[in-house]
Amino acid sequence: MNDTTVLMALVDDLAPVPDMLDTLREKGIGDGDIAILSGVPYPERVLGRPMNWERLPLISASGALVGFLTSMFLNAGTPMLYSIHVGGQPLIPLPPTAVLTFELTMMGLLVSTFLGVLWESTFPTFGPKYYDPRITDGEIGIVFRCPAHQTGEMETALMAQGAQEVTEPEEHVL
Amino acid sequence: MSVEAKAAPLVWPEEEDPREEHLLLDPRPRAELNQIVLDAMHRSGVGFWLAVTVLSLLVLIGLGGAWGYQIYKGMGVAGIRRPVYWGVYITNFVFWIGISHSGTFVSAILRVFKAEFRRPITRGSEMMTSFALIVAGMYPLIHLGRTWRFYWMVPYPNQRQLWPNFHSPLMWDMLAIFTYLIGSTLYLYLPLIPDVAMARDHSTGWRRKLYRLLALGWRGTEAEWHHLRTAITIFAFAIIPVMFSVHTIVSWDFGMTMKVGWHSSIFGPYFVTGAIFSGVSAVATVLLIVRKTMKLEYFLRPEHFDAIGKLILIFSFAWTYFFFADYLTEWYGGEAVGKELITFQAHGPVAPLWYLMLIMNIVIPWLTLWNRRVRRSPWGLFLVTIGVNIGMYIERYIIVTGFLQRNRLPFDWGVYNPSLVEVLISIGSLSLFILLYVVASRFIPLVPVWEVQEGQITHSLRRIGRALVPSVAELE
Repeated sequence: MNDTTVLMALVDDLAPVPDMLDTLREKGIGDGDIAILSGVPYPERVLGRPMNWERLPLISASGALVGFLTSMFLNAGTPMLYSIHVGGQPLIPLPPTAVLTFELTMMGLLVSTFLGVLWESTFPTFGPKYYDPRITDGEIGIVFRCPAHQTGEMETALMAQGAQEVTEPEEHVL
Repeated sequence: MSVEAKAAPLVWPEEEDPREEHLLLDPRPRAELNQIVLDAMHRSGVGFWLAVTVLSLLVLIGLGGAWGYQIYKGMGVAGIRRPVYWGVYITNFVFWIGISHSGTFVSAILRVFKAEFRRPITRGSEMMTSFALIVAGMYPLIHLGRTWRFYWMVPYPNQRQLWPNFHSPLMWDMLAIFTYLIGSTLYLYLPLIPDVAMARDHSTGWRRKLYRLLALGWRGTEAEWHHLRTAITIFAFAIIPVMFSVHTIVSWDFGMTMKVGWHSSIFGPYFVTGAIFSGVSAVATVLLIVRKTMKLEYFLRPEHFDAIGKLILIFSFAWTYFFFADYLTEWYGGEAVGKELITFQAHGPVAPLWYLMLIMNIVIPWLTLWNRRVRRSPWGLFLVTIGVNIGMYIERYIIVTGFLQRNRLPFDWGVYNPSLVEVLISIGSLSLFILLYVVASRFIPLVPVWEVQEGQITHSLRRIGRALVPSVAELE
């Protein structure tokens, strides 16, 4: 049984958006059922939305650790696999080791940060999604799921607060 | 005696209207911003196709013909002879690595310090970084001679279970360049995603297919923006030390030898400063051409070139400081070979180049860039920045090939003249860089529209007393 519906309100100005979100909350829509689409980044505090826990720094740090361990293998592991002792020279000299360790740690950090963005944003996803191409032309979209019987009520409330249109959005293949 | 106070103007005088001066105070609807950038990408007249044809021919001649000939005939066709075993290939390598510092410096460092003028110029300079690194990365292969032996550097053991020596400066070089190339390409791509999504929404046919792939399904949700911003911040901070490390390691290729003139602890910061000096100058040169040919005058304004001009002047000071510190130490030491090297530069066969370098890197920037009019004049800044890069190329040429002509014992002195093959390969690689940039400029939105709009949202004119002054709000 499908007793909920998805609506998208399009707004051409940021100013009424936080109030619209308050209205949705007052009508029983939880923050988890609301998504804001925009062409520029607005931090949560600007929109009046709860702060999201960000795992990306953790993913980046893990990548850096993998890079560090790889460098340890190349720096220390490979000379020990086939030791060639040269008179007066250490098998694992520290200054050159530092150079390689730095480069590989940074490579791990940078690559994992990129992969982290893909993972966290579930990219790439080209399947049908609620979207409107006018978003990249500066419109702000408020997409939310509400009980089907509240559709008219939501539309009236959001239009009164400055929405240009409130419609059941099409799912676009992106 | 009564003093009649003169009322300050309520608004700026017409010629100083901050809206005309500052891009971020001159907002236009997002759709219009998008259209300007998309129009620039779709503009490909006769001049564009002529440029692409000529550049492709030069690439074919230089990299297909000359490099192919060198691979077939061997390194004997290059001008390198005992004692000068590092010629223009290594000079070009150092030069292009220097150019690659442009993007990171302009984008990452200015982002970290929240220099607002960076917004429309970051993408154009990040592209330079990636393409310059591709060109730079070719040179160790060209210089190798037996290019097909490159895989010996790849980290896996050979049939005798021996691994490459990772403690060799050659391996530092390879790893640093790979790290920087991967890092800077990802750093170019990440902020590009929202703009290719914009291009996707406004394109049809094969372009839409391409942008659809590149946009990865971007919709602009809060979560997507949140992850993107966090990633850009991490990248901006992480790529800066990588940038410093790359040219420092390139300088250590020289510094780690016992060669007089090269064995210097100042080479690291000296090379990095020179790299940023030439890189930022190249950004100005390229953006001036882009502004004119792609009609991006709305985004790229005199204020941006004014700011870049100031940076170039500052880096000219810094480069001069390191140059002089290195020179003075050698000169004051009075060691015989060092003295000979100094005489060789000031009075020997490379003297004309050496003086030209000083003129291009010190005299001209110092005499011109203090002047606001020169910094804001497209032709003025164009000529100065072209001059800086000629000067910086000469500097690398003298360091690489000049210093090798004078060694500890006179029997080991020599002369170096680049051969036609070396010259053609150099022209081919320069053409490749320009070709990559020209072609990419028709596929990649050269101005980060979302960053510009973000800046326009946060900038406003605020009344303080009787004046209206530009003011910026912090969203984060």
